Amino acid sequence: MTKGTEPTIRGKTAIVGIGQSKKVGRVPGVSPLALAAEAANAALADAGMEKTEIDAVISTHAMSTSFHRFSVAFSEYWGIVPTYSNNVQVSGATGAATLNEAAAAINAGYAKNVLVVIGDSLLTGMTPDMALRSMTESRDQQYEMPFGIPVANTFAMTAHRHMKEYGTTREHFAHVAVTQRKHAIATPGAQMTEEITIDDVLNSKVVTTPYHKLDCALISDGGAAFIITSAERAKDCPKKPIYLLGAGECFTHEHIFLMPDITTTGGVTSSRLAYEMAGVKPSDFDVAGIYDCFTGTVVMMVEDLGFCKKGEGGPFIADGNMTYGGAIPANTHGGLLSYAHIGNGGSYFHAQEVVRQLRGECGPRQVEGAELGLYHALGAGFACAGTTVLGTEATL
Amino acid sequence: MSSSAIDPFAKPLPSPDPDSQPLWDGFREGKLLLQHCADCGNVQYYHEFFCRNCQSENLEEREASGRGKVHSFSVVYRAPGPAFKGDTPYAVVLVELEEGPRMISSMIDTDPNDIDFETDVVFTTEKINDDISLPRFRLA
Repeated sequence: MTKGTEPTIRGKTAIVGIGQSKKVGRVPGVSPLALAAEAANAALADAGMEKTEIDAVISTHAMSTSFHRFSVAFSEYWGIVPTYSNNVQVSGATGAATLNEAAAAINAGYAKNVLVVIGDSLLTGMTPDMALRSMTESRDQQYEMPFGIPVANTFAMTAHRHMKEYGTTREHFAHVAVTQRKHAIATPGAQMTEEITIDDVLNSKVVTTPYHKLDCALISDGGAAFIITSAERAKDCPKKPIYLLGAGECFTHEHIFLMPDITTTGGVTSSRLAYEMAGVKPSDFDVAGIYDCFTGTVVMMVEDLGFCKKGEGGPFIADGNMTYGGAIPANTHGGLLSYAHIGNGGSYFHAQEVVRQLRGECGPRQVEGAELGLYHALGAGFACAGTTVLGTEATL
Repeated sequence: MSSSAIDPFAKPLPSPDPDSQPLWDGFREGKLLLQHCADCGNVQYYHEFFCRNCQSENLEEREASGRGKVHSFSVVYRAPGPAFKGDTPYAVVLVELEEGPRMISSMIDTDPNDIDFETDVVFTTEKINDDISLPRFRLA
């Protein structure tokens, strides 16, 4: 394996702790800050660290709270006084962007032990006003929202055009939902654990064409946290360090009508940058966590991330390539479609599943011999893309 | 009702800014205005102070032909909030204008089943109030 071009963050930092709230899915009666604290406590124990060792907190906007600075509010709630704090808001791409920023902050000497944390209550904690605001303010107020375009609609238009240009079908999309539901059934704590068929997806209620209900992400409550530290410090932590080998991001547009090509995303660039830094190619990966706000999103991503040619994502997935024994087992926990979706931090569970796979902790759903993992997050109608390459010591 | 509450039954309306006021003035007069860069030839929707391609301030405002084709679309069955509930099913369209730029809009006087990729559409406006007319499209 060849190393990327210096200087990079390759192998200089590692994820040493991961944690989730005690429960994810429908969790009434637990505040977003409490969900975040439960996750942080679990991550801290996983890392074998003391709370006082955390000197940096990186977070994002929690939609069911009114905090402008969730990271700062969380630090007070959890009782720490960090010397670095930031809130990243690049919609669904926030997951990868915050991990990448944690690595960069450590590498730059701004921080030693970074807590990346979020808690949100999209399912049970939104007042009607908050829910409405999150829907109506998610797209631009001048050129998009007056036409009644929810964010789902922007993703739907890209998928629709993909069907037109490449012959992708709703059955292809449905394979993503069915595969990930199978994965969720094998994952303790997943929100959706009832088996579904292709027909169930096709016949579920239409939301915005071509997407039906079972093509769409869940809405959930929950918290997630990571502890990231230097490669040097990671050696003293109890769990197998999972190193950040590569990071890449790309932001192609704000308005969907200025997306340069609506069937090809900034994931092409973000993944290329991350792969170059890590010195890897798509066929090197053993396991992946791929953002799945909608089924078609995954179809487009297996193309843009380099696992198959443009336009072949549908047949690639229908042939079983995103599950065990296929080219790239992905979203082995069930993803946003079946595990949980807690907002901007929803894909943190994807990253945590990749970490668990690389640690060899996944039991019956373990991808045998997983050493190199991909995490790709995206959001805002494909406006934002972030890629993180993760690996065990063997990949350094 | 607190000042932060929003009326769930009111459709969101744009608040024109210094860049976009001429564009919204145009819509009010029934015109779709595009900016043409006199330096690099770039044609842009929406209005900016600069050319998005070359940063030139030398922008000429010209009325578009109003003709375009549906590049993609999605028919909304589950409305984003109560304000749009009565409109469902409605088609949101990504229109590629004859001049090149794309824009988001929605159709009027059109059955969503009559819309397809590359369908020819023409620009029109719908008066919402004395200040705001929204750009819309109808079948050509």
